[in-house]
Amino acid sequence: MNQRRPMIELRGLHRFFGTTRAVDNISFEVHRGQVFGYIGPNGAGKTTSMRILATLDLPDAGDALVDGFSVVDDPDRVRQRLGFMPDYFGTYANVNVREYLDFFARAYRLRGRDREAAIRRVMEFTRLEGLAEKPIDGLSKGMKQRLCLGRAMIHDPTVLVLDEPAAGLDPRARIELREMIRALADRGTTVLISSHILTELGEMCDVVGIIEQGRLVAVGSVEEIQKQGQTPRNLVDVRLLDAAESLGVWLAERSDVSQLRVDGQTARFLHAGDPVAEAALLKAMIEAGFRVVAFGSRRRTLEDVFMQVTQGLVQ
Amino acid sequence: MSMEVDRMLARGGDLLNPILIKESRQSLKSRQFVVTFALVLIFAWGWSILGVSWLGPDALYSNPGGGMFAGYYLILAFPLLVIVPFGAFRSLASEQEDRTYELLSITALSPRQIVRGKLGSAVAQMLVYLSAIAPCLAFTYLLRGIDAPTILYVIFWTALGSLGLSMVSLLIGALTSQRHWQVVLSVALIVGLLLVFWIAAVIVFDWMFFASEASFSDPVFWQINAALLTGCLAYFALVYEAAVAKITFASDNRSTRLRGIMVAQHVLFAGWMTQAWIYAGGESEVVLVFVSFAMVHWFVMGAMMTGETTQLSQRVRRSLPQSFLGRALLTWFNPGPGAGYLLAVCGGLGAVVLAMLAVTAKDLYPLPTSSGWQSGESLVVVAFAMLAVCYLVIYLGAGLFVLRWLRRLGHSGLLLTLLIHIMLVLVGCGMPVVIQMMSPDWYRAGYSMLQVSNAMWTLAHVGDGTTLPLEAPILLVILPVAAVVVFVLNLPEIVREVRFVRVARPVRVAEEDAELAAKLVPPPRPKQISPWDVINE
Repeated sequence: MNQRRPMIELRGLHRFFGTTRAVDNISFEVHRGQVFGYIGPNGAGKTTSMRILATLDLPDAGDALVDGFSVVDDPDRVRQRLGFMPDYFGTYANVNVREYLDFFARAYRLRGRDREAAIRRVMEFTRLEGLAEKPIDGLSKGMKQRLCLGRAMIHDPTVLVLDEPAAGLDPRARIELREMIRALADRGTTVLISSHILTELGEMCDVVGIIEQGRLVAVGSVEEIQKQGQTPRNLVDVRLLDAAESLGVWLAERSDVSQLRVDGQTARFLHAGDPVAEAALLKAMIEAGFRVVAFGSRRRTLEDVFMQVTQGLVQ
Repeated sequence: MSMEVDRMLARGGDLLNPILIKESRQSLKSRQFVVTFALVLIFAWGWSILGVSWLGPDALYSNPGGGMFAGYYLILAFPLLVIVPFGAFRSLASEQEDRTYELLSITALSPRQIVRGKLGSAVAQMLVYLSAIAPCLAFTYLLRGIDAPTILYVIFWTALGSLGLSMVSLLIGALTSQRHWQVVLSVALIVGLLLVFWIAAVIVFDWMFFASEASFSDPVFWQINAALLTGCLAYFALVYEAAVAKITFASDNRSTRLRGIMVAQHVLFAGWMTQAWIYAGGESEVVLVFVSFAMVHWFVMGAMMTGETTQLSQRVRRSLPQSFLGRALLTWFNPGPGAGYLLAVCGGLGAVVLAMLAVTAKDLYPLPTSSGWQSGESLVVVAFAMLAVCYLVIYLGAGLFVLRWLRRLGHSGLLLTLLIHIMLVLVGCGMPVVIQMMSPDWYRAGYSMLQVSNAMWTLAHVGDGTTLPLEAPILLVILPVAAVVVFVLNLPEIVREVRFVRVARPVRVAEEDAELAAKLVPPPRPKQISPWDVINE
């Protein structure tokens, strides 16, 4: 396997539904063993582009490649390499957990002992061993999510595309899912995952792509996105002994301060500069007569970055 | 021993279609199957008990087998002709509704395997119902009054009908994933299946009680059966390929196989009609019927082919014919509306050629059973065939022209295509009739040149009689000229599609193919150069 070849590559991908540009010229690459977090508001185009990648839909222009194979021209070769977990369960009635996995293992042409081994491996990984004979209808949401993840990886794919896998899961199940995804990436599986739970994505993703109105507005690691085209910005919280309106007026005149918000005795803003500059800012505040009782600075989380680069627009 | 049997069964299971295994497992646990099967058994037992108690000692002296069989047939035909096909429809429709079909489509299963699996499941159900009723059918034979060939003949055609209806139901199930359309289609399908059940019962009872014994000894009966069987198989293949095409990935070739079957159907129909023509002593009506059906066949098929996308994917282009002969003969089997139009026109022309061959053969080698054609009858056949193919070229071409314009506006789809073609035929045939009916002068008049666009009336007018009508010379000028004009207008579309040439496989595909090929070839054996070389096997 060519190590330098991206496992997932989107090249100028477009998909229109009437006048709606669901996916509008999206390009990015994901390499072997990377976890790529796909973030965006509802209707931003995440699911559409994931469906194209999973060979369930065709782009109107551009292409998507999995391990160098086009999803348009070689969907069969893409399907051998890709496991897709959609944002719905897709389960059958009157079938138990083992039968469900057995069916998909057979559908991926796994025979005899290979099939048995694959089912065992997947049940062990998703911790479903104790539920093998349980009907799927009787499973909880978290169990069904695990089962669907198991189905997606029954043929040991090198690329996994997971659409909102953590939706509706309890905290414990979320943590377990995160551990599973990290374990898969450590084994060399490339994972493309979309989620609304940004804190979790921030912890497990190597690369993040932010999509809004079908366009990719930012791509890279969280740190890289923070640095894109500007000096690093930290989120600063200041609390005064008295009302902070005058501090707001004072801060608004400064060029290194942005996204200022004043609420009662506190002011929150983004500050461009390193810790030395922050110390100088605090000193200037005190010298200007503001009675500061608390001054805190922290690096921005994925949520902060998301809020910064998106404008909350929907199509 | 049991371990060995288990292993053998497991190995056998590996060879089976995964869908068949899954659906069998589901069926065994499903309430619907258990209830239906129990009802079939209850009705069969009920009918047996009722029949025997009603006949009493007469069962030994009369021949009540036929009457008892009729009851069992109704009990068997309902699940076979209604429940099994509807089950096949629901099986695929529910996959679309529950979106499990999407999960299925991205596995290694091909669309062909998916359809075969669903069909296999329908066959398995059919066999279960048959096995439940089989003892009852044997009982009717023992009662006398019905012979084994009749029972086998009826069951054979009913089972074949069930298979055909299941295939059609699968195609309908594949047509749409939208729930409201699924509901509409399921209602229509149930009505259709009940109608088929009723028709089958009427035909079987009518034949069984009035004609069965005489039929088996008649060679023509078997010829008709053979023709029906091959016809059914040809349409089964067409519906099967259509269902496969419907669920095949859009960038794949979904048309070439269907076109091959269309041509095969044409050839098969021509063969049987030739047989009928010889049997009928070379009657010209047989030729006219052949030409009419052939034109309808190519019009319907052409209407669907002209609705195909104008774009040829890179995947399809990788397997286009390359040689001169291949390009000349097989280009028309490539997907695309222009190629489809030309294939349909060629099919129509093929029918005309056959009609002319029949005319020539009749004139040169009169059949021993022939009553001889009257003068002018040959001209009628030739004119009829010529005019029929002209209508085919004009109507299909006009539809293709309109569709090309609509595609530029962003409209496409099979439903729209069919609608356009039907509308054009309705306007072309209906409008002149309406005008004539509304005109006080022409109201009672017969055929006039106003009906030139009305294919049905014109062809009926030309084909009715042994001499050409007065309007024929004018029609034979106007319609061919119009056909040539329409064809030329569509020529750019055809030429554009002919220009598609084969493209090379992408580098990555060639790379993987080479890797796979290398794995299949065994490593070279080391050569013994001298007697002292030791080669380890």
